[in-house]
Amino acid sequence: MSATWNPVKGGGAYTEVPDEEKRRLFEEVVADPRYGDFLYGCYECGICVAVCPSARFYDFSPRVIAQALSREDIDRFYEILMDDIWNCAQCFSCVRCPRGNNPGGLVTLIREVAVRHGLERAQQALQGYSRVIYKIMLKGNQVSPDMLQPDFFPDWGPWVREFSQHMHTWRKAIPVDTMRNLTDAAWRTDDRTLRELYVIWFETGNMEVIREVDEGLYELLVELMEEELEAAS
Amino acid sequence: MLQEISPVLVIGGGPGGLEAARTVASLGQPALLVERRHRLGGAPDAEHYAKLTHGFRDAEEAIGELVAAVMGDPLVEVLTGTEVVACAGEAGAFRVTLRHGQETQERLAGAIIVATGFQHFDPGRETQMYNYYSFPDVVTLGDMEAMLKAHQVVRPSNGQPPERVAFIQCVGSRDRQIGNEFCSKVCCGIASKQAIEIKQQLPQARVFIFYIDMRMYGYWENELYWPAQERYKVNYVKGIVSEILPKGDKLLIRGEDTTMSRPMEVTVDLVVLSVGMEPSSGTRQVARMLGLAQNKYGYIEAGGSSGLDPVATSRPGVFVVGAAARPADLDDTFATAGMAAARAVATIRQVAAVR
Amino acid sequence: MSERLSPLSEIREKKGLPVRPDPEAAPRSDLREELFELEARGELLVQRVPEPYVEVTTKFGRVKKVPIDHLWHHKSCGQCGHIPGYTTSILWLNRQFGLDYHDPTDQTSCTGWNYYASATSNAAAQILVMCRNFAAAYETGYYPLIHCGTSYGHYKELREQLVHHADLRDQVRRVLDKLGKPLVVPEEIVHYSEWVHVMRHRIAERQVVDMSSVTACVHPACHYYKIVAEDAIYDPDIYGGQRTATVTALLKALGITVADYSTWFDCCGFGFRHILVQRDFTRSFAVLRKIEVMRDEVDPDMTVTHDTGCVTTLDKSQFAAKAHKRRVGVPVLADSQVAALAMGAHPFRVLQLHWHSTDWRPLLEKLGLDWQRHWQEFEEDLAAIERGEKPGLTWDDAERPALTRERDHRAH
Repeated sequence: MSATWNPVKGGGAYTEVPDEEKRRLFEEVVADPRYGDFLYGCYECGICVAVCPSARFYDFSPRVIAQALSREDIDRFYEILMDDIWNCAQCFSCVRCPRGNNPGGLVTLIREVAVRHGLERAQQALQGYSRVIYKIMLKGNQVSPDMLQPDFFPDWGPWVREFSQHMHTWRKAIPVDTMRNLTDAAWRTDDRTLRELYVIWFETGNMEVIREVDEGLYELLVELMEEELEAAS
Repeated sequence: MLQEISPVLVIGGGPGGLEAARTVASLGQPALLVERRHRLGGAPDAEHYAKLTHGFRDAEEAIGELVAAVMGDPLVEVLTGTEVVACAGEAGAFRVTLRHGQETQERLAGAIIVATGFQHFDPGRETQMYNYYSFPDVVTLGDMEAMLKAHQVVRPSNGQPPERVAFIQCVGSRDRQIGNEFCSKVCCGIASKQAIEIKQQLPQARVFIFYIDMRMYGYWENELYWPAQERYKVNYVKGIVSEILPKGDKLLIRGEDTTMSRPMEVTVDLVVLSVGMEPSSGTRQVARMLGLAQNKYGYIEAGGSSGLDPVATSRPGVFVVGAAARPADLDDTFATAGMAAARAVATIRQVAAVR
Repeated sequence: MSERLSPLSEIREKKGLPVRPDPEAAPRSDLREELFELEARGELLVQRVPEPYVEVTTKFGRVKKVPIDHLWHHKSCGQCGHIPGYTTSILWLNRQFGLDYHDPTDQTSCTGWNYYASATSNAAAQILVMCRNFAAAYETGYYPLIHCGTSYGHYKELREQLVHHADLRDQVRRVLDKLGKPLVVPEEIVHYSEWVHVMRHRIAERQVVDMSSVTACVHPACHYYKIVAEDAIYDPDIYGGQRTATVTALLKALGITVADYSTWFDCCGFGFRHILVQRDFTRSFAVLRKIEVMRDEVDPDMTVTHDTGCVTTLDKSQFAAKAHKRRVGVPVLADSQVAALAMGAHPFRVLQLHWHSTDWRPLLEKLGLDWQRHWQEFEEDLAAIERGEKPGLTWDDAERPALTRERDHRAH
């Protein structure tokens, strides 16, 4: 346990995780080329917390994140990595920081590390999200009309049920050519465009990231993508 | 012989320029004081300062004494409504062109003291959302000073005395997004002074000061900060306000109460923005005209070759006083004014001795 | 001292002066200059804004060029998937003004929603997705107009990262070479609401629906004005130049009363991830911090915003809250929908209001519009489609005169 910041408290979460592990993950965040753009100094003015929507509903503080990283407090960092980062709404209101810090951006960097390493907490946070990852990686669209089902959006009201019953007709009644009559994607995309997207995912190591999040999804996606790419060449 | 009676040209008739001119005269050298406005007194006069932090002395009285001393001094020539528009020559023998209305005149000076001072940060440029130009009840330190002097501390929206007043520190200072990364030095002391004055005039009012750090140097700690908290019950809260919005007929301010680690929202009826300092337009103009080096904020660079000389500029024979070189309080201004006067007179006498 | 005004008068005088920032005193360097420098060094291409364009001012007083014509419409997943009237109204407006545009199939999502939700990506991948889209636009000769606020903010920050990190640039260029595409960045990243902003007077000239009885609350999108904050429209005549003018300026040009409320700067609570898998946060935030505050302080006829996520969040969060007896029921529209409606667009063929969850009926009734008749017209379209008489709705159908001064505008 790092004695620098917590010499007296014997407790705290994640004491069983070795220091080297925590430090290694911390260093990965710091090594990102964007880190220096996102973290300067912090004089604890609290503007970031004042404007943060997540700070109102969760025990979440962008100020604490900036401080923990500045101090290289690897224990607190690890707690943030495990517990806090998925509460951030990524709205970037915190970019109002007078020192020029970007706590939301720091959260993005920490999330990337969590996801890259397939940390269980990251996988848990993304449970229920696989459907969307499938859609975005394969179709180049985040959402599609056929996702508007009462079982996926029950809290959006009876409108969802009504929509799902009329979906096909309503989708034909749209004058925009790229959208008309399309229900499994948001707009029509050329096959060639999708192939270019797949090349981007493969070349940037993104498929490996997906593998860490959901192995089954990864297998499915890679199979479909490689099929497409082979058929074209 | 002509050089020995060359006057020291003092540009700017605020506290710094006045003190510099008086000190030059006390050393037996003539001074020529040129002021752009039609009145002397600088910021304390133009902005109707109520009381100074020095023992809460009445500003008009204190500055008035200084002005009277200068006006009554036979060795000081005062030209108001006048600007310096051109300058040639070198230490010991500067030739300057002065303009008053449509007329110009050429004058000689052995040395020049620049005391053109500061202006306040325009709160419309603030990164955080303070809506100074939209909400009547959001005012600046300067606005509050004028109200205190007139014993008329009211909400501009309805002319009624406020029940709850909030000061917000560091407006336009210490901010990388605005570009004024420096601390303006005086706003913490001024805000605390004004908070005390408000409580003296409106004992029932609650006063808050929202800060990042309280910069209470030297005796400000025990003369301002402690009495403000202990005697006048001013509440100091560590957490800067991110936005001011309307709530009914009052103002809602939002920030983080960092001590308690939670977001806070407070309803007040008057907000005072502790706006910082910037080099004045006069400082920028004169610096350009005299070819003086400026730092990235537009202040005239001082320091000299050692870096430790607070009045030496990049041009020999030209000296800078007070807030034209850096955020400065009155003590800094008077100290540098005296030092600049000494250096200016010494320059003239050295040049004369050489000849 | 006697010749001076009383302090109150002086203070009040100062307040009349709006903010006019001096671009020379801007605290940050102009990214576009760095972009042109990179172009001069042969590192990338810059696609210039075509004429005709309109100049607007941004936060530090710099000038931004907003093109009017020859636009490549960079579509939004959430709009095309769940709010088709949003996209339809943008293109309908283009067509009404006889503009030449391109609606591409050679376009992917910006993937920003996924990135902000799950971080299942990295800087290079995100920049490549953006640059692939920009190259596709460049190849057509049309200039990209970004439909989604998230895409706009994401592209603004990616452009900065591309310009400031040579390693990232090299990596991006290598992959683009593989794809046979040039590395090209547009001179300005333009959001469609900025296009609507510069078109607002022309839209008002063609207004056929009187909206002077309507009060609206504006919800500005975080990703529009908070990311790369200097690149957003500011106008001394709107909010004294202290808040972004986009959306508010349009509504005022249409004669709508824009009312302020105490949570103007708050996020809507979309959360990217939260709205899909942690929805109690999004619902609660949208209702407690935005909708209820608008209801309590203003009780507006509608709230208008300019981003996909914001429309979705504000519109879809209100139903569940009603079950908890919260004070909701504010219809949510995009600025392009409001503009189109003002110009007489059909509420269902063009605005596609049947995809909105909150009740828009009181709003249309207040505007004196016979929505029952228009719904009947639309149902006839649907019936014809179901009978197989037509494959779908066309632009001809959407451009048939819907609302005219004589038939629908009843004097109040």
